[in-house]
Amino acid sequence: MSLIQCNNITKRYGSTLALDDVSLSLEAGAPIALIGPNGAGKTTLFSLLCGFLRATSGDVKIMGYAPSDTKLHGRLAALPQDANLDPRFTVGHQLVLLARLQGLSSSAANKEARRVLDKVGLPEVIATKPEALSHGMRKRVMLAQALMGSPELILLDEPTAGLDPPNVKVMRSLIAEAASNATFIISSHNLDELEKVCQSVVHLEKGKLKGIVDIAQSRSTDHNGYYTVVMADTSIEAHIIIASLKSLASVSNVTFNTPNRFVVEYDAKQAGLDTGLDIGIIKLLSDKGWTYRQLVNGRTLEDQLYFGSD
Amino acid sequence: MRSVALIAWYELHHLFLTKRGLLSLSAFGLVWFLILRYVIYSAPQVLSITQMGSSITGFLNSSIINNLVTWQVPEMAMFWVVMLYLLPIFCVILTADQTASDRARGTLRVLHLRTSRDAIYFGRFIGQLLVLFFLIIIALASTLALVMMRDASQLFPALHLSVIVLVNLMLVLLPYTALMAWVSSMARSARQATTYAVIIWIVCSILTGWLSRQFPELWILDMVLPGSQVSSLLTLSGWNTLSLALIPIVQTAILLFFGRMIMQRSDW
Repeated sequence: MSLIQCNNITKRYGSTLALDDVSLSLEAGAPIALIGPNGAGKTTLFSLLCGFLRATSGDVKIMGYAPSDTKLHGRLAALPQDANLDPRFTVGHQLVLLARLQGLSSSAANKEARRVLDKVGLPEVIATKPEALSHGMRKRVMLAQALMGSPELILLDEPTAGLDPPNVKVMRSLIAEAASNATFIISSHNLDELEKVCQSVVHLEKGKLKGIVDIAQSRSTDHNGYYTVVMADTSIEAHIIIASLKSLASVSNVTFNTPNRFVVEYDAKQAGLDTGLDIGIIKLLSDKGWTYRQLVNGRTLEDQLYFGSD
Repeated sequence: MRSVALIAWYELHHLFLTKRGLLSLSAFGLVWFLILRYVIYSAPQVLSITQMGSSITGFLNSSIINNLVTWQVPEMAMFWVVMLYLLPIFCVILTADQTASDRARGTLRVLHLRTSRDAIYFGRFIGQLLVLFFLIIIALASTLALVMMRDASQLFPALHLSVIVLVNLMLVLLPYTALMAWVSSMARSARQATTYAVIIWIVCSILTGWLSRQFPELWILDMVLPGSQVSSLLTLSGWNTLSLALIPIVQTAILLFFGRMIMQRSDW
């Protein structure tokens, strides 16, 4: 049985088509990213999975149940985008209510509220009202409510939106830590962040499913390998750099992604395991006197999804 | 059922833990103090036979007054009249935000991950009734204290009347609370919910008024709006008042059905 099974789901808001005949099947395991530009239908898909919305047509099953089925209570958790706790009550008061709704006794609910606040590093806010918290702290409190009990599936909609880098790092480590006990599905615009956390990617665009990509597999296939060169000096014409990189042995293609990134595709089979291409690239750049900032073995998620040749 | 009870219980908590709840409580307390001091306190004089024909006759018709003067405890009779007209207004204001602002804020989504839409809807509805019950108990207790101060021998008849009044007032408030549960399930703020309630009320009043003129035989039209039985209630006394209980109960069931339908079908 799949963790999530969507069959031909369509969602319309009046005349606007938010999701168009999306079918997908996701299995439990490593974190899954849900990506796409604004208006791609990510939040709509999330809301359908959580039972906040009803599909215009099609069928959604989570762990074999319809999204609003009471059997999913406690097994499915989520951090909905822009959802907030009631500003009038303390964080602790509300977390205890949520824990009790999950079936915990009063004393167990109190302990659970403290446990999850400890987990997100905010034990001191238990008696604080949400309106007194910063944006980052509120996000972490919302993550805390998603970690209550022992959910098997946790959906996070834009968990790092509006967070500063330290808070993003905290959020990332919290997800990594909890990922051993639950499957995370994370929607975000921050591809670098998703790349660090997720193993596979569900790619939506204009309400349609563009594909499901396995990040690890697509980085290096049987046939092609990739290096990404990030240049420090942007004054050199891109086509000159492309031509030079293409002249290297076993390089099959070079693509330029503004402002300063060159993705070098090479034939791994032809080059063999010990290609030395990375050394060749560095030598070329050095000989030409071109300053580079980074040489990455592989290509970024952004390059794979939006600029990839395969 | 556990979720419904939990949500309802937390609603009662909210009356004491939130600024809005405490403000409502203070406003009710102040208004009630004035009524207690200037209306209930003078009930024995106002409802005495010798004073009949004074100001109260301008407000209530003779059959109502004739009924009220038969009440053994005049304070309770006055309490009954005042509450029948005051509480519905207070109820509409107090219960307007059953789910509206939680919907706008996304808090309903967080709750829905742990409980059903029905539990949220009925839990909030029952919670509001608990709040109203609590307010009526406070008002009744203060009235009983007043009765005790005047004539301690009337405590037991007053207690008996209190139970009758309490049951009847809760029945009167049922459809008002259900109406606000319905409009709250469509709204995104308390103000919007109140506006919807006013619109529905006016449209229904005009419609039922017109229909009852066109079809006088359709007597049921006179029972469509919440509170339609209030003037008849005032002509009854004791447990006879429960003879009209079916009207608010049916109204409540219908209004809750409409609200539940919206709650089940709406996107959050």
